[in-house]
Amino acid sequence: MILATAIVLIVTSLLMILLVLMHKGKGGGLSDMFGGGISSSLGGSSVVERNLDRLTIGTGIIWFASIVVLGLLLKSNGVG
Amino acid sequence: MLTAITRAFRTPDLRKKLLFTLFIIVVFRIGSQLPTPGVNTEAIRQAVEGARNSDQGQLYGLVDLFSGGALLKLSVFALGIMPYITASIILQLLTVVIPRLEALKKEGQAGTTKITQYTRYLTIGLAILQATGIVAMAATGRLFPNAPDVLYKTDMFTIITMVVVMTAGTSVIMWLGELVTDRGVGNGMSILIFTQVVAVFPAQFWAIYKTKGAFAFALVMLVGLAIMAGVVFVEQAQRRIPVQYAKRMVGRRMYGGTSTYIPLKVNQAGIIPVIFASSLLYLPVLATQLWPENKWMIKLQPYLQQDNAWHMAVFFAFIIFFTYFYVAITFNPTEVADNMKKYGGFIPGIRPGRPTAEYLDYVLTRITTPGALYLGLVSLIPMVAFALMEATNDFPFGGTSILIVVGVGLDTVKQIESQLQQRNYEGFLR
Repeated sequence: MILATAIVLIVTSLLMILLVLMHKGKGGGLSDMFGGGISSSLGGSSVVERNLDRLTIGTGIIWFASIVVLGLLLKSNGVG
Repeated sequence: MLTAITRAFRTPDLRKKLLFTLFIIVVFRIGSQLPTPGVNTEAIRQAVEGARNSDQGQLYGLVDLFSGGALLKLSVFALGIMPYITASIILQLLTVVIPRLEALKKEGQAGTTKITQYTRYLTIGLAILQATGIVAMAATGRLFPNAPDVLYKTDMFTIITMVVVMTAGTSVIMWLGELVTDRGVGNGMSILIFTQVVAVFPAQFWAIYKTKGAFAFALVMLVGLAIMAGVVFVEQAQRRIPVQYAKRMVGRRMYGGTSTYIPLKVNQAGIIPVIFASSLLYLPVLATQLWPENKWMIKLQPYLQQDNAWHMAVFFAFIIFFTYFYVAITFNPTEVADNMKKYGGFIPGIRPGRPTAEYLDYVLTRITTPGALYLGLVSLIPMVAFALMEATNDFPFGGTSILIVVGVGLDTVKQIESQLQQRNYEGFLR
């Protein structure tokens, strides 16, 4: 059980990293992080981007759930 | 003030953005509290208590500050935005050195997007490195020397799982930040930092109130508010250089003839110099943790304490250097002068072209001097307080945290206000 959850967790983690990297970066780096910088994020997101968002949110929920489950399993199993 | 807030929430567009930002902050905080699978939460709480009271807590000071206490808890978002900041700093420095990156930067929008993409890849790389470092330290018991058993199991599989989860956590943080920039208010990354810095405030206030009594509590609050007011004052300070535009006839219409000004802020660089300096000074700390037995590292160790005079001096010098460095990168007098000349503008009493550029450079250099000194002094406040009052970690108003809170706060409010002004004129700041 623990092993299966851990494997699911690793897979979703890797998927999560990949999906986030596939997004278009909208940060703009440090320069407009602190002080200054006009928000240049005009123009709506495309269909691809929207589907990517949905996929990322879905993966994120599974990822989050498996973290909680694995944490609880290890806690009940491990000798504190 | 209050009416402005209600008005902000009554504007449907803005309300959506504000609520979205709040939602992301909540998600972010939940992730910062959620322990990574395999961490013995009970043991780690005791270990953190122990570490806070010893010298160890100081070593992690700034990194722990940026992660809002998540780092020492080994939570899913333990690394926080640190990898992203480090990656941005590295790329920012590299644009000066590597011609290809400089060319990309000059390219405009497309080039900047590419640089951002590189930053994101580098962030993941750094996250893997840091996650491995932290988990390895926790597994071998070096993170908390007095409480070795913070993990249930230390076999290879568990450790790999933890590293992967933390790396994924960092990428999620990056995404959350970008979502806020995109659909919320303000700049996502800085709002996340702001959240983490502010998150520890209530606990620290409570600790002061409980241990030192009501009088000390009031005193600390008063001093903190005074410093904050001072920081706001300097952040808003600017020199306005008047610019006169010549009248031009295009067809039958008249253009120009107006007079405006170029605002030169006293602290043009914001808090980036402080972050640069602290990140650089963190590197030797990291080195001493990785190779604690090396004899050079043992010699280096005493100089890395925050209340060491040499440490403070180097920190101060770094901040002043980076202030000038960053202003030089971001503000180019020649470019501004050329632009002004192109549109028929001039500074009264100074000829357009090269003399204008020289004048701007002269004013900027002189105005940055107090700015740099101010940044250095404010960020030294907590360290001096440590040294003088033995107040160790219960002094909540660290210079860096105040600079971050005020800087990000002002910025975000200004952005909300500019959105409010699209509909009606009275905003937060008058």
